[in-house]
Amino acid sequence: MKKKLIASLLTAAMVLSMTACGNSGGDAAETQSTASTTPQTSDSGTDTASTSASDLEPVTLKMYLCGNDVTDDSKVMEELNKLLKEKINVTLEPIWETWGYGQEVVLSLQGGEPIDIYFTCSWTENEYNKFARDGYYVRLDDPNNNLIEKYASELWETLPEVLTQTGAAINGADGFGVYAVPGYKDIATQNCWDINVPLLEKYGYTLDDIRNTDYYGFGEILQTVKDGEGADFYPLLIEGAVLERMATNSIIVTGDSGTGNFMSYYLDPNDVSKETSYGIKLLNKYATDEFAKFAAQTREYYLKGFIDPACSNKDQANEMRTASQNLGSYLIGTQSYALGYELQASQERGFEVAMIPCTEPYVDTTSAQGAMMAISTASKNPERAMMFLNLLNTDPEVMTLMNYGVEGVHYNLTDDGCVEFTEERNNFKPWTNGVGNVTILPPTVEQGVGFWDTYKDYYGNAKEIPILGFAYDGSGVEAEMGSVANVVEEYLLPLCTGAVDPEEKLPEFLEKLEQNGVNTVLDDANAQLESFMKYKGN
Amino acid sequence: MKGKTKKTLLLTTMVLPGAIWFFLLRYVPMVGMALAFKDYKVYIKDPSFWNNLHFSKWVGFKNFKFLFSSTDTGKIIRNTVGYNVVWIILGLVLSVGMAIILNEITRKRVAKVYQTLMFFPYFLSWVVASYFVLAFLDPTRGLITSWQMKNGMDVINWYHEPKYWPVILTICNIWKNTGYSCILYLAAITGIDTTQYEAAAIDGATKWQQIKHITLPNLRPMICILLIMNVGKIFNADFGLFYSVPLNSGSLFPATQVIDTYVYRTLTATSNIGMSTAAGMFQQLVGFVCIMIANRVVSKIDADSSLF
Amino acid sequence: MKKTRPVNSVSRVTELIFHIILIAFCLICVVPFIFVIIISFTSQQSIREIGYSFIPNEWSLEAYKYAFKMGQLLWRSYFNSFFITVVGTICTLIVTIMYSYALFRKDFKFRKFFTFFCFFTMIFGGGLAPTYVVCKTVLGLSNSYAAVIVPMLLNPFNLIVMRTFFQSSVPMELVDAAAIDGSGEYSTLFRIIVPVSKPGIATVGLLTALAYWNEWFIPKLYVSGDVKHMPLQYLLMEMQEKVDFLIKNSSLIGAEASSIAKSLPQNSLRMALVVLIVVPIAFAYPFFQRYIIAGLTIGSVKG
Repeated sequence: MKKKLIASLLTAAMVLSMTACGNSGGDAAETQSTASTTPQTSDSGTDTASTSASDLEPVTLKMYLCGNDVTDDSKVMEELNKLLKEKINVTLEPIWETWGYGQEVVLSLQGGEPIDIYFTCSWTENEYNKFARDGYYVRLDDPNNNLIEKYASELWETLPEVLTQTGAAINGADGFGVYAVPGYKDIATQNCWDINVPLLEKYGYTLDDIRNTDYYGFGEILQTVKDGEGADFYPLLIEGAVLERMATNSIIVTGDSGTGNFMSYYLDPNDVSKETSYGIKLLNKYATDEFAKFAAQTREYYLKGFIDPACSNKDQANEMRTASQNLGSYLIGTQSYALGYELQASQERGFEVAMIPCTEPYVDTTSAQGAMMAISTASKNPERAMMFLNLLNTDPEVMTLMNYGVEGVHYNLTDDGCVEFTEERNNFKPWTNGVGNVTILPPTVEQGVGFWDTYKDYYGNAKEIPILGFAYDGSGVEAEMGSVANVVEEYLLPLCTGAVDPEEKLPEFLEKLEQNGVNTVLDDANAQLESFMKYKGN
Repeated sequence: MKGKTKKTLLLTTMVLPGAIWFFLLRYVPMVGMALAFKDYKVYIKDPSFWNNLHFSKWVGFKNFKFLFSSTDTGKIIRNTVGYNVVWIILGLVLSVGMAIILNEITRKRVAKVYQTLMFFPYFLSWVVASYFVLAFLDPTRGLITSWQMKNGMDVINWYHEPKYWPVILTICNIWKNTGYSCILYLAAITGIDTTQYEAAAIDGATKWQQIKHITLPNLRPMICILLIMNVGKIFNADFGLFYSVPLNSGSLFPATQVIDTYVYRTLTATSNIGMSTAAGMFQQLVGFVCIMIANRVVSKIDADSSLF
Repeated sequence: MKKTRPVNSVSRVTELIFHIILIAFCLICVVPFIFVIIISFTSQQSIREIGYSFIPNEWSLEAYKYAFKMGQLLWRSYFNSFFITVVGTICTLIVTIMYSYALFRKDFKFRKFFTFFCFFTMIFGGGLAPTYVVCKTVLGLSNSYAAVIVPMLLNPFNLIVMRTFFQSSVPMELVDAAAIDGSGEYSTLFRIIVPVSKPGIATVGLLTALAYWNEWFIPKLYVSGDVKHMPLQYLLMEMQEKVDFLIKNSSLIGAEASSIAKSLPQNSLRMALVVLIVVPIAFAYPFFQRYIIAGLTIGSVKG
């Protein structure tokens, strides 16, 4: 009784706060439109930035980057800082974090260190939505001090609207607005069946045989290949959680990744921008018929020996998967896709690989917030940081230096303007997608001339899913989220890889989820989604 | 009188560097314990850690809630305390035993080699150890698995059968820690005045009697101190052992979920600094109570061996 | 002395049993390490085909070649590890000995207070974030050797162990006698007490050295991304973390994660690094041990 009361109070509070933010969000949108309709302001903004570099105070900016493999940046920084000094009188001190981007970054933010710019996104530990909500990031389109308008209008015009308007604009500490500069990368999600073509053809099948069926129809093909290749060959090479989403067409709900994504929103595989019969609603995915069907099928495949038991051991699965991919010892795999990946994969693995998509590419909140740069509220020079981010994302020279290094040292340009890397590149290998707008880079030799145009087309045409922009804020039910996370960890992977019997484990799982408050979280999320959709509709 | 003041002064200067360190790096940060009762948010007007801490809202015991909200809480506490109790006893017996045996080896050079080798596991992290365990238990290619297959036995899917794991984890723990705690005891045995043994031998005491009446009593301070300190960690678990060695496999949670792993998995969901502080504080409080009790018991038995 | 068995030793049969027990246990302890060495010399192809195995299909030096190709980075971090361990251990020992000696002295007026002062921190701590803030902003520890050494300078556990060593091996009469001889407190400690307590000091020194050598988290916090000061263990951990991170987020990072995963150092390389990390400290071990054993002989000479 008491619990219910609290829950409803919480929901009410949530709705109130959402509507409140909705209002301020409207304001923000208005100011933004005025900004773009009055070009004079933006022009003068860039003018002052470019002409008066020497009048600006010299400052040093510190910046945390993610996913890099950099051991020697001395040459790059020398060149880059010369350039930056000239343009905006800034000296940059990048901190090239590797993929271990985690606790030290969170501590640095929580400890209020004077670092100016942080990489952030929907999946690192300094998660964009949460940290913006807690006040760690500067609101860039603050009506009182609109940094975007003042220093980055040029950038805002180059980025697709789906990023600037829908993906980056969220409910933060300072009201509804933009709290980070989104990177322009592969902004759509698309999951594919990764097919080992030579093996498929060896048994007389074609890609159409895969295309014309779905997960539930793979049985015969898998059996044939298994029989032909022997008992220790496992044709179905899967990443459990991804497979589940592919087979049932569910997506990741942003803000829920910590709980192992028990929430799901189902897509219509034929048209991702439409609602399904479930409507605009978040569901406990494990309680749906789709999941029961999927788990039963997977168990059947597992028992028939189509799935390597190692897939179900979380820490072993990834290494095993990489090894099997390289050896070509699989028939059908799961893969999240980026444009041109089949070529790259074929090259890396040394045999022909085909990617057969389950759905068309779609933009969801997670992919739209896939890589961003936020300015810390602890920064002493947010204006200059904004200027720098604008430059980084619009000036090909700066962007190329930051990503590919120095021409003649780290790479050479071919006659048609493609990048060919040298040995030196091994000492300076930032994560390209994590730096910023990749589309202003010169193409690499592998990508070929005109790659970025195809790229922009492909992602520019990607459809938006109905709930794009929604990010769940679980801060009201953190205790429940925590217990649910542990329950999901216990059952998810074994069920999604067939290692345990769903007839026994699934009911147990569902019961345990319920006891640990899954419905409280779900109700909370649906209430938020409802008010979000209301606001979005307006 | 003057000499006494001087002595106190000099001894205080000896303590001083350490005391300053403790003060700055251990006591000042304790202010942060307040985090456990706060909803930590950035104080936007002037963000710095102390300001943020000061201006964040008090939320009472909300941050502690998650520790008790799970239906598995009982199981988790049972696992943590259970493993610890068994391992403290086993570890004590084995490492004292090993130290005594090592001390009896007449060829000291050989003893030295043994001791060095016993220490090796301590160098390997749990992640590395997990590869080793995997080599035996791999569901398709493991040494045990292939042996079972060869002999036509049922293959056990080790990483999905929790019932075997209490034993596996215990073996791992002993493997890793015995050599380490053994050297503490060995060093303590080494410090025992050998004339005691010789006198006993002349009186005709057997080796066993010597161990019982000379070695063990002399080891008592060390045993007691280590015991008290281990009891203080009864609510903490060796994270790597419970997380990496079972390859983070969900099916094994009934046997491998302990407080530290539970907190870790929860906090990746929420990354809430208040909750992590709360969890730590809870463990500390329980540890404190346990240490006080243990210390009390020890000081009743042997006042000199107690911690304070 | 060499050939004859010392007086008061166990019977030959008992000793033989002891040897068997110890050999068995030592085997269990060493085999995993041999296993790690084998993996480090196993070709990647073999790991892919038959997994980790004591008898790989194919041997290879690939991992070591790759490790040494890291060249500067590797040697630099090697040097850093050595430097941090040696300097850190010396500093720790000095501070620890002084502190614990005062606690050992029953006639020290503030003994109870300072014992508790130390003991209390063994149980209670403010947690990671406040400590980090104190070190970084108050003490300014960042990107230097001090930033790695200072945060782990003292360990209350070792301090108390040290005090216990003093208690069980230093007779109080020794201190009194020194005082009567007119020896000052400091010279009593360093001239008389320290030489007698070698086994204890060597043990605590060993534990401390190991802690410095194995530490990766403190460097991650205080010298993150700073190639000049990062120790070897951090380098290894970083590789491990990359893998973990990608596993956790592979479905979110998308296709790129797969190609990054492929470029990651392979298992054999990680094992090669483990070997490179363990070998020096394993060799340093007998050095400490000499003192522990030396203490034993001193004892017997005394007798």
